[in-house]
Amino acid sequence: MSAVDVKPPAAKTRAGTGGRRRFHPSAGSAQRWSLLVVIIGLVVLFGSLQSAFYNEKLIVFPLLREIAVFTVVGLAQLAVLSIGHMNLAVGRMAAFSAMFMGMAYELWHMPLYVGLLIGLVAGASIGGFTGWIIAATGVNSFVVTLAMDFALLGLVSLVYSEFTAAAAFTAKPAGMDEMRNLSLADLCAGDVCGSPAVPQMLVFTLIAMALVGYLYSRTRIGRELLLVGSNITAAELSGVPTVRRVVGAHAMSGALAALAGFMLAVTAGSFTAGIGGEFMIPSFLGPVLGGTLLTGGVVSIVGTLLGTSLVQVIRQGLTTLGIGLENLNIYLGVILLLALSTDRIRSVVAERKGVKP
Amino acid sequence: MTTQPILLAEKLEKVFPGVRALGGVNLTMAPGSVHALLGENGAGKSTMIKIITGVYRPDGGSLTLNGVERHFKSPHDAVIAGIGVVHQERNVVPEFSVAENMLLHQLPAKAGLVDREAMREQARRALDMIGLDVDLDEPVKGLSVAQTQLVEIAKALTTTDSKVLLLDEPTSALTLAETDRLLDVMRKLRDNGTSLLLVSHKLEEVFAIADTVTVLRDGESVLEAAPLGRFTTGEIVDLMVGRSHKASDFPARSVDRAQAPVLELDALSTGFGHRDVSLDVRRGEIVGLYGLVGAGRTELAKAVLGLDRIVGGGIRVAGKDVKIDNVGTALGRHHIGYVPENRKTEGLFLDQPLTMNIAVTVWARIRNFFGYVAKRRERDIAEHYVDRLGIKAAPRQFAGQLSGGNQQKVSLAKWLAADCEILIIDEPTVGIDVRTKAAFHELIWDLAADGMAILLITSDLPEMVTLADRIVVMRDSRVMGTVENSHHYGETSKAVIGLVHQTV
Amino acid sequence: MTGKDLMSRLRANRGSEPTLLVVGIVGYLALVLKSNGDLLEGNSIKGILIYLTVPILIGLAQLVVLAVGQMNLSVGALGGFLSVWIAALIVDSGLPPLLAAGIGIAGGALVGVVNGVLVVVTRINGFIVTLATMTILIGLQYRVAGTRTITLSDGWFTDFGSADVLNIPLIFIAALVVAAVLAFFLRRAVPGRRLLASGGNPLAARLSGISNDRSLILAHGLSGLIIGVAAVLTVMSAPGVNKSIGGDWLLPSFAAPIIGGAALAGGAVSVLGTILAAFIVRLVDVARAQYSLDPSLVNFTIGAVVLGTVVLGTIRENRAARAPKDPPKDTAKEAAPLAGSPS
Repeated sequence: MSAVDVKPPAAKTRAGTGGRRRFHPSAGSAQRWSLLVVIIGLVVLFGSLQSAFYNEKLIVFPLLREIAVFTVVGLAQLAVLSIGHMNLAVGRMAAFSAMFMGMAYELWHMPLYVGLLIGLVAGASIGGFTGWIIAATGVNSFVVTLAMDFALLGLVSLVYSEFTAAAAFTAKPAGMDEMRNLSLADLCAGDVCGSPAVPQMLVFTLIAMALVGYLYSRTRIGRELLLVGSNITAAELSGVPTVRRVVGAHAMSGALAALAGFMLAVTAGSFTAGIGGEFMIPSFLGPVLGGTLLTGGVVSIVGTLLGTSLVQVIRQGLTTLGIGLENLNIYLGVILLLALSTDRIRSVVAERKGVKP
Repeated sequence: MTTQPILLAEKLEKVFPGVRALGGVNLTMAPGSVHALLGENGAGKSTMIKIITGVYRPDGGSLTLNGVERHFKSPHDAVIAGIGVVHQERNVVPEFSVAENMLLHQLPAKAGLVDREAMREQARRALDMIGLDVDLDEPVKGLSVAQTQLVEIAKALTTTDSKVLLLDEPTSALTLAETDRLLDVMRKLRDNGTSLLLVSHKLEEVFAIADTVTVLRDGESVLEAAPLGRFTTGEIVDLMVGRSHKASDFPARSVDRAQAPVLELDALSTGFGHRDVSLDVRRGEIVGLYGLVGAGRTELAKAVLGLDRIVGGGIRVAGKDVKIDNVGTALGRHHIGYVPENRKTEGLFLDQPLTMNIAVTVWARIRNFFGYVAKRRERDIAEHYVDRLGIKAAPRQFAGQLSGGNQQKVSLAKWLAADCEILIIDEPTVGIDVRTKAAFHELIWDLAADGMAILLITSDLPEMVTLADRIVVMRDSRVMGTVENSHHYGETSKAVIGLVHQTV
Repeated sequence: MTGKDLMSRLRANRGSEPTLLVVGIVGYLALVLKSNGDLLEGNSIKGILIYLTVPILIGLAQLVVLAVGQMNLSVGALGGFLSVWIAALIVDSGLPPLLAAGIGIAGGALVGVVNGVLVVVTRINGFIVTLATMTILIGLQYRVAGTRTITLSDGWFTDFGSADVLNIPLIFIAALVVAAVLAFFLRRAVPGRRLLASGGNPLAARLSGISNDRSLILAHGLSGLIIGVAAVLTVMSAPGVNKSIGGDWLLPSFAAPIIGGAALAGGAVSVLGTILAAFIVRLVDVARAQYSLDPSLVNFTIGAVVLGTVVLGTIRENRAARAPKDPPKDTAKEAAPLAGSPS
C-alpha cells in the first residue's frame, strides 16, 4: 500500500512510450490501411509528376528489389522489437553472415543454396549468442548489441583483409546472376508471362514474411514472444521460458539479417564487409511506421512491408523527380516524426474516450 | 484537549467511479502527539493518506493545517506546507549523499551553486534531532534500509516548519531491533513537539507508541481521535473489522483429512530467509496463509514455484519429492498455479487481448508438432472461462481496459484453463469493490468444492475467516502456528492475532 | 530485467576510474617502450591528443543524456551538420569566425532543446526522436556541403586549431575545459544536481518537487551545446569539412561513457571515466598504428572490451550474491521482543 501513486516520468519508462499502448483492437489495422492509402497516393503523385516513375525495368524493378531487401531487414528488427529489445548490430550481423556465405562460395566452392544455409546458421548463431549475453547478464539490449556491432565491424573487416585481395568475395556460384536479374517476365505459363517489374527475389521476402507471420499469429512460441515483450514478469510467472524466448528472438533476428545480407550481396554481385552498413535506420523505420511497438508486445508483419515500402517509394520518387539525396533525408525524418506524432495523438484521443489505461 | 489541532480533516469525501472510498471522514491531530490511523485493507486508509499528502484532491470536506485551510495540488505542495511524509517504499537517489538527499526538495544555493556547508549544517541539525549518526557525505546506497528510512524521517524534519510527520507502514521492512530504534526516535520527536501520524498494520507497535487513534471502516471513521489507552487490542480489532462480519452462508464443504496432502512443504528453507517452513494442503482444502506485510508469504509462494533458491528441506507434490526450477515445471509437471498479488505488474498482459491473457498457460498443451496453435481452440477456451467466471468483456478486448475485479478474474482464469490441481492465490481481493469481492469468495469456495487444493494468502482477516479451513500464521519468514477455522470471526481472529503477536 | 535490475548491475561497474587510469597509464607506457621512446616526443603526444579531442566531447554529449536515462542518436549527424554549417558561414557568407562559431554552438543547443521538447511533449521514445532528427540533420549536412570539401583559409581560427602549449594542442585543452565545466555543473550547480536526481530516481525527484521534464530538456540541450563545441573544434583543426564528417561519431559516443562507467538507465555518470575511456580507445588506435595492424582491430577491441566488461560485471555480482549471507530476518528473532506488547 503505497501512499503515493505517481506516474513514472518518461525518462524512466523503458522506452518512454508507456502511454503508447494501443488499447483499441482495430487501431493497428486502421494504421495499415492509412499507410497503404498514403503509399498509393504517393505512387500516383510521383507518376503524374514524372511518368518515368512507372518505368518497369529502370524504376519499378529496382524499387521492388529494394523493398524486398529492406522488408527483411525490418523483420530482423521486428523479431527483437517483439520482446521489447533492440538490435543495433542488425547490419553487422548481416555482414558477418554474408562473410560466411562469401567464404562458402569462394573458398569452399559450395552451391548457392548451401552457402545461404551456412549464412543463415551463422546469423542465427551470432544472434543467439547476443541474446544469451543479454538474458544471462540482464544488461540492456542496447548496450550489448551496440558492443556486438563494434566487435563484428572489426572482426568482419579483419577477415576480409585476411582472405581477400580487394576486400570482397567475388566468386559467383551458379544461379546467382539469374537470381539478381530475373523478374516475373521470365516466368511464363504458356504464352502468358509475368511483369518484368517484379523481381523474383521478392520470393525470399514473401517466404520470410510468411514464416514470421505464421510464427507470431499461429504458434505458441510467437505468442510467448509477444507476452515476453508485453510484461516479462507476468510471462515468467505464467510459465513462459523467458530466457529461451529472448535467445530465440535474437537468433531469429540474426538469421533474418543474414537473409537480408544475402539478398543485398546478390543484388550487388559480391560479398563485402560493407554489407549491412545502411541497415540500422531502415530496420527501425519499417516496423515502427508499420505499427510495431518499440516497447514490445505488438508486431505487424504486413505493416513492416508497408512501412518499408513507404520509405522506399519516397526515396525512389524524390530521386526520380530529381530531388537530391540531401533533401531526401530531411523529408524522411520529418515524415517519421509526423507519422509517430499523429499515432501518439490518436492513442491519446483513444484514451480520452474512456478507455482506462 | 483545548489546544488547536495541528491537523484537522473534516468530512473528507472521495468518490471513484463506482466506489465511494471516503464518505465523510474526520481526523483530528493534537500537537506533540502520536496519532494512529487504523483500518483494514479497503477501509479507505490509503485514500486518506493520499489526500493528506496531496496525491488526491478530496471531492468534499476540508483539510486544515495549523488553523489554515489547505488545498494541495501536488505531493510537493504538502511537503512545503509542512506535512512531512515517509512512504512505505524508500524514495531516495541512491548515488546522492545523505545530506543532499535530505535537502533535495530545497537545495540551499549560492549563485546557482549548491551551498554544501549550509546543506550539511541543515542536514546535521535534522539528524541530531533523531539522534542518527551517519556520515553526511556517504551515498545513500551504502546505508541499510532502516538507516535510509531514518534519513527520510530526518529529511521530513528539514522542512523548516514541518509540523506533521506521516509514517506509512514504517516498520514493514525493519527487524525488531530496528523497529525499537524507530519507536524511540518517534517518542523523541513527539517530546520535541512534532505531531506524528502513524499508519500501521502492526497493533503492538501502535499500542506501544500512539496516544490517540482514529479507526476507519468502509470509508467512514468509526472511532475519531480517541485516547488509545481506553481500549484493548481486541476492542480495536473489533472496531476495525466491525461486528457485521459473520460466517459465510456458503454451502457446507468438508475436507477429507485422512487423505494424503497434495502439496507438502517439509521444513523448507529458502534463499530469501525462510526457515523450517512446514505446511500441507489437501485436495478440496483451502489453507490460509496469514501474516503481516513482510512476513514472507509471497516470497514463500515464489520459492515453491522455483523462483528462489531452496536451501533446505523439501517440497512434495502428491507424495513425491519434487524439484521445481521454474514456473513452467510447476505448471506443466506438477499442476501448480500462482495468482499473484499485483495483477497489473505480475498477473496480466495489459496491452494484450483477453484471449492471450487466458490462453498463455494452455499453448504448451494445445499446440501441435509444428508449434501450431489453432486460433479457434484458443478462443473457445478463452470464451469458456470468460463465461464461467462472469468476466464482463469480450475475449478480444485488452486486459488493460477492464475494471479491477474483472482483471483479477482474468488473472485467475489462466490457471483454471491450465487445469491446475494446486492453486496459490495471493491477496485476491485487494482494491476490489465489495460485491465483486463476494463473488470472488464464492468462486474460490467452489473451486475447492470441486477438489482443487488452494493455498490462500491474504491480509484481509474477515476474508480469511470466510474462506479458509485452516490458517497457517507466519511471521518473520517462519511459521508461528496453525489455527483451525471455526468460521466464527471473533474466535478465529483472536487466535490468529494472538499467534501473530505471540512473543517468541 | 527491470530498470532497477539494470541499474544495480551497471552500478557494479562504478568506481572504474582507478582501473581505467591504471589501464591507460600501463597501456601508454607499454607503447612508449615498444616505440623506443618515440611516443614521448612532442609531435607524437600532440598527434595523440588532437585526435582525442572530438571523442572526449562526443562522449560527454552522450553522457549527459545518459544521465537522465535517455539516448542521443543525433550526436554524429548534429556534429557533422554544425561543422559544415559553421565552415560555410565563414567561407560562403563571410561571417567572422567567432560569430560563426557562436551561431554554431547556439544552433547545437537549440537542436538539443528541440530533441528534448519533442521527447517530453510527444512522449515518443527518445531513441526514435533522435533517430528522426539524425536523419533530418544528415540531409541538412548534405544540403549545405554538397559534394565539396569546405576548406577555411588560414587565419587566427585555423591557427588556434593547430596551436599548442608545450605540445598540448589548444583544442584539446578546450575539450578539457568543457569537461571540467560539465563536471562542475553536474557536481555543484543546482540544475545539475536536479538533472542527476531525475536520472537516479525520477519518483524521488518528483516528490521533492523536481520537474523531470525540465531535466530531460536540459540534458538534451546540454548535449547539443557540447556537440556544438565539438563542431567548432573540428572546423578549426580539420584540413577541411565535408558531408562525411560526423558519420563515424555515433558508436564512439556510446563507447566512452559506457566503458567509463555510466549507467544506461540514468543517474550514474563519470566525466573523468569518460575521458579516460576515450583515451584508452585512442591508445588502441595508436597501438594499431605502432604494430601496423588493420584499422578494424580497433573496433573489434572496443566491442570485445565492452562485452567483456558487461559479462565480467555480471559474473562478479553473481559470485557476490552466491556467497552465503545471513537472512536479515534471523537477527529479528534474537532481538528482544517489542516493549509494551499489546494488553
